[in-house]
Amino acid sequence: MPSSAPRNDPFPPDRLLALHRTMQLIRATETTLSKLFADSEIPGFIHLSVGQEAVAAGVIGALAPQDTFATTHRGHGHVLARGVALDLFFKEIMGRAGGICGGRGGSMHVADLTLGVLGANGIVGAGLPLATGSALAHQTRRSGGVAVAFFGDGAMAEGALHECLNMAALWRLPMVFVCENNGWSEFSPTSRQFAATLDKLGAAFGIPHRQVDGNDLAAVAQAATEVVEAARSDGPRILECITTRWHGHFEGDPQRYRNADEIAGLPENDPLRRSAEALLAAGIEEQDLAALVASVDSDIAVALEAARADALPDFDAAFRDVYTPTTLTAGA
Amino acid sequence: MSKPLRYVNAIAQALSDAMAADPSVMLFGEDVAAAGGPFKATRGLLDTHGPERVRDTPISEASIVGAAVGAALTGMRPVVEIMFMDFVALAMDAVVNQAAKARFMFGGQCSVPMVLRTPHGGGLNAGPQHSQCLEAWFAHIPGLRVVCPATVADAYSLLRASIEAPDPVVFVENKALYALQGDLDVDAPRGIGKARIDRPGRHATIVTYGATLYAARAAADRLAQDGVEAEIVDLRWIQPWDEEAVFASVAKTHRVVIAHEAVQAFGVGAEIAARIASDLFDELDAPVLRVGAPFMPIPFAKSLEAAYLPDADRIVAAVKDTLA
Amino acid sequence: MVRDLVMPKLGLTMTEGVLAEWRVSPGQPFKTGDVLVVVETDKIASEVEADSDGVLIETTIPVGETVAVGTPIARWSADGSGAAPAPVNGTASPAVEAPAPPAKAAPKTGPLPAPLRDGERVLSTPLARRRAQDLGVDLTTLTGSGPRGRIKMADVEAAAQRPVSTPAPVSEPALSPVAALAGERSKPTTMQATIARRLTAAKRDVPHFYLAAEAEVSELMALREKLNADAEPGSPRVSMTHLVLAAVGRALAATPDVDRVWDDSTPGGEILSLGRGDIGMAVDTPRGLVAPVLRGGARLPLDRLARDAAALTERARNGRLSAEDFEGGAITVSNAGMHNVTFMTSIINPGQSSILGVGSVRSVFRPDESGAPVLKRELGLVLSADHRLFDGVAALAFLNRIIAGLERPLRLLRTA
Repeated sequence: MPSSAPRNDPFPPDRLLALHRTMQLIRATETTLSKLFADSEIPGFIHLSVGQEAVAAGVIGALAPQDTFATTHRGHGHVLARGVALDLFFKEIMGRAGGICGGRGGSMHVADLTLGVLGANGIVGAGLPLATGSALAHQTRRSGGVAVAFFGDGAMAEGALHECLNMAALWRLPMVFVCENNGWSEFSPTSRQFAATLDKLGAAFGIPHRQVDGNDLAAVAQAATEVVEAARSDGPRILECITTRWHGHFEGDPQRYRNADEIAGLPENDPLRRSAEALLAAGIEEQDLAALVASVDSDIAVALEAARADALPDFDAAFRDVYTPTTLTAGA
Repeated sequence: MSKPLRYVNAIAQALSDAMAADPSVMLFGEDVAAAGGPFKATRGLLDTHGPERVRDTPISEASIVGAAVGAALTGMRPVVEIMFMDFVALAMDAVVNQAAKARFMFGGQCSVPMVLRTPHGGGLNAGPQHSQCLEAWFAHIPGLRVVCPATVADAYSLLRASIEAPDPVVFVENKALYALQGDLDVDAPRGIGKARIDRPGRHATIVTYGATLYAARAAADRLAQDGVEAEIVDLRWIQPWDEEAVFASVAKTHRVVIAHEAVQAFGVGAEIAARIASDLFDELDAPVLRVGAPFMPIPFAKSLEAAYLPDADRIVAAVKDTLA
Repeated sequence: MVRDLVMPKLGLTMTEGVLAEWRVSPGQPFKTGDVLVVVETDKIASEVEADSDGVLIETTIPVGETVAVGTPIARWSADGSGAAPAPVNGTASPAVEAPAPPAKAAPKTGPLPAPLRDGERVLSTPLARRRAQDLGVDLTTLTGSGPRGRIKMADVEAAAQRPVSTPAPVSEPALSPVAALAGERSKPTTMQATIARRLTAAKRDVPHFYLAAEAEVSELMALREKLNADAEPGSPRVSMTHLVLAAVGRALAATPDVDRVWDDSTPGGEILSLGRGDIGMAVDTPRGLVAPVLRGGARLPLDRLARDAAALTERARNGRLSAEDFEGGAITVSNAGMHNVTFMTSIINPGQSSILGVGSVRSVFRPDESGAPVLKRELGLVLSADHRLFDGVAALAFLNRIIAGLERPLRLLRTA
């Protein structure tokens, strides 16, 4: 896959191994969620990012602690990569009291403000203005932070992207627009949905655009590191990661609109397999990779057990969080 | 400390004082900085507080409000302006799905301390897309606060309260009131959800807010000539509205008219009327009546707009109907 | 916070009361349980106690005045504040803070339905309905002044000011023949008006029939003399009334069907069996005739009956009866024997099903089997009974049991 900038400084293997583990965590977690969903242990609907793990691992791995990001309905990977507590994550998606959002949001609204996660979002493109505002806050507060807006190629048709590219360019906000381009706008190929291309859009607003093979972990990690630091010092950047969506728009979507050959060929471009091969080539032992898989599986088993044992959420507690308690109402 | 001021200057002063008091307060919106705001409610603030905290935005309502949510989640207390309340339709996702819900759907992890200032109301012959009173839309959304000050003193103190409030506030100013003069009390208590008895009376209650307060006062003056003492409750806050004050007044007078400039159907008055009917049924000695705009877009022509807007005549007639 | 003290509703049927006496003066503090005011109704005088501590600020109704239930009669507050009504400033103060809501005086029982008149809903406001219930005003008798004849609170309060709110009977001529007569006119007292209303209703609505008979009471009178002569100090004197009560009680215990009343508050009516053996007892008091109930009179031994009846009479004469003293009983004994009357035909006490009118003991000659005159002492009895519950045979059987008890008085000494 082409990359718009040459990789002249390969990512060191020890960092790649850590990012590989992140990918493994995302893959195994989402595979588990898929089974739980099929077994009716998860209410509502979930959107999985299987096949896109390299983007989450590579971009989130490039962020500093003070950085913030807004993600999408397909956002499990970003939140897991940022290090959300796995048990709280499972509890949330399974609708339990101890969920990271108390069981109020579920899969589409996983957030951890302590990690700078401004939330997954149920509205396509809605995270873009949130990240723009967050970048505005970083700039105004001189926090040194960068805000990342994850969005899919489907959101390229949303006006919010165009408004936010303009605003970020005007104010030279410390912000990275990360497009996870998997070629699909929900149930339709993006080629039939969007007349422009993201690089041309970026050029129109004077925002540097970089495209990368989104299934090449090292390429994503390298590009993200460069782009994030550029945004921190020099204003907005666009990083377009070309990637693959293995599952349907949501779990249970039979994807009849997709060519069977296309789906069958997806594992050829599996970011995890490619990363494992690269690590083995760089001298990592097969047994180390096997141990990593076992360790991830063990973590997930523990988290899942905790989630299953957790209580159901309390209605009154939910009701109390509609507004923030304040003396302005009491003493009024 | 007290000095006479225009309503629009009270807004500007509240913004300026809030920015001086709290470095996390910032303003952005269309033409709020260099131009000082379309109605001059932010005049001078760019000079006093600098271009980082007072920013002109492009004409991008959806992203202005969405950015306010993101900034609020990242430690700021943004105050954004939507030039006319009609334009807020462009920003509804940010208000309704993002600002209102972030605290709740993230399990109480965060608050969204932001204020959306926007002017509503007719009287300027601005036509169907520059005159609407849409506050009921927001009062319907759990997570939002909605306030509509009618006096100069309230314009200041309620805006300060809105900026200090931890949750998103839709702060509605009536364009017709910008030139109103009154006294300012910068030390007045700032609370959320407290109504004000504008005028005591014992025969009927007029519940109102915003510019309609002045129609209610004129109506009360005329009713007084007929020996009818109308009590006026200025709600100030629409969400949450002051049930205690309204119920106490209705329990005293046993008759109530709810008057507002917004379209009557499915409006703020409908909710208040329903609550009175359910909670105060046995206090009622007459049907609960509403005075609001007819169910049509607000028209442009001076004659049409004058016929459209609720006025003192209609309030007087409604109060007399409750006394029939 | 200044609050109103209102005329309390002391019984199910109470609609108004006479303010008889203030026990607390303006400015005086009181504690929970202190008697604030004495209120008289047609039946009783009641002491109204404070249900919390406070200070009386002012009384608004003078002693002797009759006011409807729910009418404010005084103002008080917890700490005596608010002694002078706060002036209302209509212009200067821009921000009179909203008052606290009314104590949850608002309805606890849910909204009241609109009453029906000739099958049609009587249009009335919710507030008017609530006030009508509080004041005992019958909305079907009113004409509303609101739109479409809707009855408003003011209509109800105006109606409550009228002394008697009983509806005029349909058959009554439009103008009473008395209306045109000259002469001095005065309003009846509350008690007079209520007695008039209740007895008119009873005479009109209860189908009375009457049985008269004489009881030979020579033995009874001899027994009474012996009992009273033999009485230990402190034991009660046995009166003729006590003996009649005992005879009625024995008859009642033997004929439990008599202890029933007709309830016409439900469509078609219902028969209510009381079964407690309570017996009403008419007592003449300075305020008028009252009929408190001798609790369980049918089962009391004579001694105990005499003691309880004497105590009840004493309390009635002192105006110390409570609402409970009037509850229950299907029959009342009304003894006019001290007033020289042969037969007294009484009106059944509202809510009961019979009444025994007792005359004076008269000495008369009656022929014996051979036709020779024999001196007898006879007591004239008239049983008024509700024909909905009694037929002639049943009422007669009951009356004969009473007579049997009076004529063979040793039976009265047996344990009931």
